[in-house]
Amino acid sequence: MDPQTPTRRRLSRRAFIAVAGISVAGALAACSGAPTTTKHLRLSSWNIPLDLESYQAIADEFVAAHPGTSVAVEVTTGQFHQWFISRLAADLAPDIIRITPQQIGRYAANGSLLDISGQVPADFQRDYSEAFWAIGAREDGLYGVFQHTDNFITYYDKKVVEQIGVDVPQSLDEAWRWDEFLEIAREARRITGGYGFGYGWGGPETAYRWLPIVYQAGGSFLGDDGATPSMDSEAAVRALEFGRSWYRDGLVSHANMSKSGGGAVARDLFLTGQIGLLLDNPESIAPLDEGRPDEWGTTYMIRDVGEASDLGGNALAVTKSTKHPELAAELVAHITSREKVVEFCRRGNWLPARSSLDAGDIGYERHAGTMQQFIDQATTIPLSMVRAESGEYFSSLNAVFADYLDLCFLGELTPAECGTQMTEAMRSVTER
Amino acid sequence: MSRNAEPLLQESPPRPGGRAPHRGARGPAGGAGHAPSASGRRSRWVPYAFVGPAGLLFLGFSLVPIVIAVALSFQDTATLGEGEWVGAANYATMTSDPLLRTALLNTLVFTVGTVPTAMVVGLALAIALNRPLPGRAALRALFFVPMVAAGVVVGVIMSWIFNPDYGVANNALEALGLDGLPWLTSPRTAMLTLVLVVVWTRIGFCMVIYLGALQSIPSELREAAAIDGAGRWQRLRRLTVPMLAPTTSILLILNVVFSLQAFDVIYVMTGGGPGFSTTVLIQYVFRSAFADARMGYAAALGLLLTAVLLVFTLLRQHATKRAEDLL
Repeated sequence: MDPQTPTRRRLSRRAFIAVAGISVAGALAACSGAPTTTKHLRLSSWNIPLDLESYQAIADEFVAAHPGTSVAVEVTTGQFHQWFISRLAADLAPDIIRITPQQIGRYAANGSLLDISGQVPADFQRDYSEAFWAIGAREDGLYGVFQHTDNFITYYDKKVVEQIGVDVPQSLDEAWRWDEFLEIAREARRITGGYGFGYGWGGPETAYRWLPIVYQAGGSFLGDDGATPSMDSEAAVRALEFGRSWYRDGLVSHANMSKSGGGAVARDLFLTGQIGLLLDNPESIAPLDEGRPDEWGTTYMIRDVGEASDLGGNALAVTKSTKHPELAAELVAHITSREKVVEFCRRGNWLPARSSLDAGDIGYERHAGTMQQFIDQATTIPLSMVRAESGEYFSSLNAVFADYLDLCFLGELTPAECGTQMTEAMRSVTER
Repeated sequence: MSRNAEPLLQESPPRPGGRAPHRGARGPAGGAGHAPSASGRRSRWVPYAFVGPAGLLFLGFSLVPIVIAVALSFQDTATLGEGEWVGAANYATMTSDPLLRTALLNTLVFTVGTVPTAMVVGLALAIALNRPLPGRAALRALFFVPMVAAGVVVGVIMSWIFNPDYGVANNALEALGLDGLPWLTSPRTAMLTLVLVVVWTRIGFCMVIYLGALQSIPSELREAAAIDGAGRWQRLRRLTVPMLAPTTSILLILNVVFSLQAFDVIYVMTGGGPGFSTTVLIQYVFRSAFADARMGYAAALGLLLTAVLLVFTLLRQHATKRAEDLL
């Protein structure tokens, strides 16, 4: 055969275009899908593998009991507000969103979340504390149901506490008062050669984790009306002075601050033995178990004239993008039912938001005593703090709080100046 | 355009000994007065077919968003769309916003700190690695690696390195008998630390671009200068640096743009703190949009940033043209 002779027929340009056109048309037809009666829901959660599995398992049961439905669990990616706002704008937000108390207020107020009070059983509220129910409840409806919580208690290095010779509080009433705690922290600093303690911030967006200190002092972030900034009150300024002393006296590392101390600086300091005490949430349990097994213990959160702890956890809410609002609300009610909360918290090591559940009911595999301390501590979270944190302007107010907390702790502003200037900056947000 | 370059789409007559023009091309023999053939008409659309996809992408992902951003900047809205028209109120707010002034000042400091440093170090490395050295290829790759790393990864790793309590940086200083520094924890040192980190990520990029430019300088010029008695420093100052002017001007604008857009490293390492000491303009835009839920104001700030970038782009074009005219 002549090597120059082509052995295959060449595809002409017209034939190629025709084939490509038919293929594209076919692909588009396939994408459009056949008309279906299946009601499909999307639930978006933080990227925590165990939780994603739990949600899918609970959703699968729901689907089995609701023929003609399907549920897909998705991951909330990147920075939450950026992700959620862009999806809402495109009307592509998930039907159900897992959202923190600090994030929910803005979206409930601007109509991005739906009132689900009609679909949530009336007896739900009875199993919630007033504070936890207030996270999703507004005057005009219910915009989310709090599913699980977490808060701050005190972790301690057993050897350090033993050397100090101090008794560890066994009940909320016995929790270390500020003065007591500072004395213990000074001793801890002497023993570790580093610092006294650490505070579990997780980056600039978690500045609010310091708000319990303000409420412990008897102060508040916003006034009784839930709208008037009140960080210039005498009690709030006293709290700022207390916080500033942590850094002035070398009890807390400057690397462990609200804005610049993101990640897990405090936990790393505890793991490396540079601090003897750590005020943090249950997320520290697993790393401490791995890094310093049996060398640590826990007791209740510190207190002053008042008790308070951090408001952590998540609610479930239905977004305005949903095409099946009633079904989505029904799924929220199913996931937040007592039975499913038990399942979810056991598997993910979360604290239940429902008041009737304790560590025994959940059946935690490890550290049941510590988990019960967290559950007990949750009762100290003040209603006014919850209202402030789940309010319409909180994400903006939290940014202001982070800015001024930094300036105060660094010594750039006195506590009184900080209180005044922070209140002024907060007012410019609430009066917008 | 260089002197011997030909317009890419202009049809040339057949050259003696050269290849015949392709089937669809018309030579001068086509003559005036003849109607263009079907293939000729088609060929007129070919450039548009090539440009079309890129044009559509530009329209969809750049031009339309810019128009929306302009519209948004005249609205008061917490979300995208459905805002209340407020005229120029957002622009008026900018004139009296103290945090914006701080952010602009910080942006200036950050840009002035990063751009010249990265370019000078990059040029020095390029000159050093343009010579025959053992392991030259490996060294070039090594210096370029930070540019490839994601900003968030760099930020996390650098946060550990510069942690005053357990970071490598202070351990190294202490090993040398020096006191550790509050790298990221003091308003006085945080910006400097960020500049160091960003320069480290960017010198590889500058080095590679300069290397390419250095290799395009004809060696005859250097040899001629050497024969004429020019020393190494004179050759660098009088020959190499002027020949690199177009590259320098492009690198300058690119680096300024990179600095104005630097977000991830700063967000991860300092969150704009301590206090406001490392809050730069792009961060303030992000904060206004997503933390403060002021989309209209954020759009106005974004347009301010665009205007700054536009000024630099025009300056760059002017500088490039001047450099080319000089050459």
